[in-house]
Amino acid sequence: MWSFTQLTHWIDTSLHSCMSADWALFVEFVLIGVAVLAAYALIALFLIYAERKICGFFQCRLGPNRVGKWGIFQSVADMIKILLKELVHINRSDKVLFRAASFFVIIGSVCTFGALPFAKGLQAIDFNVGVFYLMAVSSLGVVGILLAGWSSNSKYTMIGALRSGAQLISYEISAGLSLMTIVVYCGSMQLSEIVAQQADGWFIFRSVPAVIAFVVYLIAGHAETNRGPFDMPEAESELTAGYHTEYSGIQFGFFYLAEYLNMFIIAAIATTMFLGGWQPLHVPGWEGFNRVMDYIPSVIWFFGKTFVCIFLALWVRWSFPRLRIDQLLGLEWKVLMPISLVNLMLMSVVVIW
Amino acid sequence: MKQNLANKFGWLTPEQLSEEDGRLAVTVPADRLQEVAAYLKECGYDFLVDMVGMDYGDRLGVIDYVARGESPADVIALKTSVTDRDFPVIPTVMNVWKIGQLYEREVHDYFGIRFAGNEDMRRLFLRESWKGYPLRKDYDASPEVNPVPLENESLEDMDTIRTVERDAEGNEHVTSRSLYTDDDYVINFGPQHPAMHGVLHLRVSLEGEIVRSVDPHFGYIHRGIEKLCEGYTYPQIPHLTDRLDYLSGTMNRHAYCLCCEKALQMDVPQRAVVVRTIFDELTRIASHLIGWGSMCMDMGAVTAFMYGLRDREKVMDIFEETAGGRLMANYNVIGGVANDIHPNFRKRVKEFIPYMRKMLREHHLLYTGNPIATGRMKGVGYLSREQVIALGVTGPSGRASGWANDLRKAAPYAAYDRVEFDQLLRTGGETFDRYILRLEEIEQSLRIIEQLIDNIPEGPYAEKVKGIIKLPKGDFFQRVENARGQFGVYITSTGGKTPYRVKFRSPSMVLVNALKEVARGNKVADLIMLGGSFDYVIPCIDR
Amino acid sequence: MKLINYCKNICLGIWHLMQGMYITLLNMCRPKVTEQYPENRGKYEYGERFRALLTMPHDAENHHKCIACGMCMNSCPNGTIQVIAKTETDPATGKPKRVLDKHLYNLGSCIFCGLCVAACPTGAIRFTNHFEHAVFTKERLLLQLNRPGSSQQAAKPAPAPASALSPAAPASGEKAAADRVEPKNA
Repeated sequence: MWSFTQLTHWIDTSLHSCMSADWALFVEFVLIGVAVLAAYALIALFLIYAERKICGFFQCRLGPNRVGKWGIFQSVADMIKILLKELVHINRSDKVLFRAASFFVIIGSVCTFGALPFAKGLQAIDFNVGVFYLMAVSSLGVVGILLAGWSSNSKYTMIGALRSGAQLISYEISAGLSLMTIVVYCGSMQLSEIVAQQADGWFIFRSVPAVIAFVVYLIAGHAETNRGPFDMPEAESELTAGYHTEYSGIQFGFFYLAEYLNMFIIAAIATTMFLGGWQPLHVPGWEGFNRVMDYIPSVIWFFGKTFVCIFLALWVRWSFPRLRIDQLLGLEWKVLMPISLVNLMLMSVVVIW
Repeated sequence: MKQNLANKFGWLTPEQLSEEDGRLAVTVPADRLQEVAAYLKECGYDFLVDMVGMDYGDRLGVIDYVARGESPADVIALKTSVTDRDFPVIPTVMNVWKIGQLYEREVHDYFGIRFAGNEDMRRLFLRESWKGYPLRKDYDASPEVNPVPLENESLEDMDTIRTVERDAEGNEHVTSRSLYTDDDYVINFGPQHPAMHGVLHLRVSLEGEIVRSVDPHFGYIHRGIEKLCEGYTYPQIPHLTDRLDYLSGTMNRHAYCLCCEKALQMDVPQRAVVVRTIFDELTRIASHLIGWGSMCMDMGAVTAFMYGLRDREKVMDIFEETAGGRLMANYNVIGGVANDIHPNFRKRVKEFIPYMRKMLREHHLLYTGNPIATGRMKGVGYLSREQVIALGVTGPSGRASGWANDLRKAAPYAAYDRVEFDQLLRTGGETFDRYILRLEEIEQSLRIIEQLIDNIPEGPYAEKVKGIIKLPKGDFFQRVENARGQFGVYITSTGGKTPYRVKFRSPSMVLVNALKEVARGNKVADLIMLGGSFDYVIPCIDR
Repeated sequence: MKLINYCKNICLGIWHLMQGMYITLLNMCRPKVTEQYPENRGKYEYGERFRALLTMPHDAENHHKCIACGMCMNSCPNGTIQVIAKTETDPATGKPKRVLDKHLYNLGSCIFCGLCVAACPTGAIRFTNHFEHAVFTKERLLLQLNRPGSSQQAAKPAPAPASALSPAAPASGEKAAADRVEPKNA
């Protein structure tokens, strides 16, 4: 299977050959930053388009179909529109926090991109505590949401922010516990190691606790992205738009992007941890089949699996009504957390045996 | 009942106990109103259908239409009036019939009558600062008196209850009380809010996520339809009835036409009667689909709303083909219907029935069984039968609490006496019962249409009426069952080309009032869901 | 027992959730109901009785049936119609006769109730289903229904009016849309 390491090595050596080591490192950093941001924007545009189209199909509609053939440039047009919009400033809002909040949200999701293994050899930085890093960075978002709700000085946003604080912190527990289950299973927190261990079989096919952890993670992760049926914080029929009611223009755009990207990130982590990351589907013993699978590039495997997870999320999003806040927290503390705790123990037992 | 009243209250003269328009009308002096009202309640008249304010010229009055909860068709008109036009005071009936509280505010708003004992005399539709009482006959409508306001009504005005009392010397004493203290966390739901189904404004006081109190404000889409009607000829009025409750416009118009036909003692051709019934039921299906969909959307399931609208579109297409209008069908006219059914009408309705049945099954699969939905709907928003009657909550919302109030059964009009259908009752009284009852009523409506569609009699589709219609002198009151409850039309005629007074009973207004009662102590999310489960339509409230 | 019930409820709940997801998936595979409006012009059938624009049909000799009686003007609840009549000498009889000068119709305030058509004693005006009314200025919504230079049809027996109030008449829509009058702003 072709690895992106060849490409990155070639860039590295050619940079080193024409400038000093420090400069080469600097240029590499810039390149990686540009690549991550570009990927971020492109994936967001695609996801917005995909969501609107798929949602339309679920609802017997066509979805966007005016800008370009099948409306494929719809999200580009939306992006231009949102960039051109006026930034409305709210009287008596906390100006500094109000502006900072959207950056918190978006930085939280951009940072995760650095550690995700998108394909073989395509990973910006491979921490030995990768899982821990992902968990830590992705929970930065809640700070932004709380700040946004508080600084807007509006009653709707306040309720939205408090709901979201309660929700995100609760669901992070079972999301974290189900990731821990996998960490226990493979004995490493390094994402490259976790992916490498799944070369002969994805974790989800290897043990029952992994399957349970996968389901729990999908639910909890879905709740962490603030999307229906867990879209309490923005509940448009109750709180108009929840914590980002008062935002406009690109500041709103940041929240919007972060929401979609979080969906992608959750799906990507699920892919990496449970579905083998960029590893192709291998069935032990079926040599021919495995070789055919190997011909499919790793980047397609990764994005394909991620998209399946995203589709699941969209499907759920557009089928179910919203939960009430007490039911939502009840689901976490009374169902998901006990299940993931028991599951973690079960996994430890499996590993010891 | 007439005999009972005469026995109980010896002072009632035969003129005060008259028959009009097929019902008993009791006229009492204002100071005796409360005892007669209390006696009527004792006799089982526990449902205040409507309260009509009247300006008789020399005096101002109120007509209370009361019915028995057991048999909603049995109506008595209780009339009272005062001669003081400057500071008219009539005792309240809100301690007898709870919903009177809201109706009295409306009468006060339009006629300036104060109700002794009803503390909350804020204006219901107009601003507090509005000068004059628009439905009085001596009202000055010139724009100089009430210029178009360019600023919002202050929230302080909205929340302050002012009680005005006048002592013997004619000095006015004003005491005011605010509904909220500084500690209350008051949120405005509306007038622009995605879940308010229009421009309703709820002032909601919250305790964290829990609703402490709800104070609805109406009037954001107030068009003064009742006042407009006084200037229109009888054939012109019905174009406004479609614009009240726009989702059951055909039925509202039906009520108006029935009222005029009753006054004119006109026989409507059988073809028109059957076609009207079919149209009513199609409208009911369309309306319930919207009601179902928007309730689902209030709970966060947008897809269900789209499915509801998709299916309703089929009904709208049928309307468009025959009546020429989709939302504003403008189909019923006095004496029949506006034009004959389209040649395709039967075929399309017959195609629609199995389609709708199939979709209904899907809707149940999509939503009724959904544990998230049922988990939210069950056990929330309980209304007992007594509460429902006291609050005047008719229609599916009332029937969900076990109150048999379907006028199609109780007082059959049009072709309802010759079709078989069930008046669905549930005893739960919870949100889920109100939800499921709507879907089940769609099935009953399909049953009615199925029985009628092949039996549309031949013959003319409208009775010939003169260009200028003059109703005989008198008061006329007619109710029909629209998709939200009992829609009533009250017309006072003095024999001229235009009515003297027109009043519409809005089933939605009492539903919002019921929401106010039910929402207390529930979560914010439930407030929205309850609003969806009552399925009110704002233009019908504001008129 | 309690535990069994609990598990049963969870399984039942999941089953119902899956049923809901099945319905949305089913609808995803169904043909879509979106109308692609400007593209499907001419293909989409809307009701021939659809009330969208008041018109006054003219025949080939530029004759209309309006007798300038003003019934439509009087029946309109909104004051949308203005009938301006003039007096002309009838060439046949030599007597002065009231004829139509201008039939003005304000599309902007029309509520499409159909009372004018119902009131017309000669069936001179009719609603067509030409619904594309968007214009840039309000003035362009003020239409004159009689064409310039048109005159009243020679005294033929007027056909039965397509009126709501005359039950003998056939449904107005069935003989519709033969001579659609283009709006003046087109």
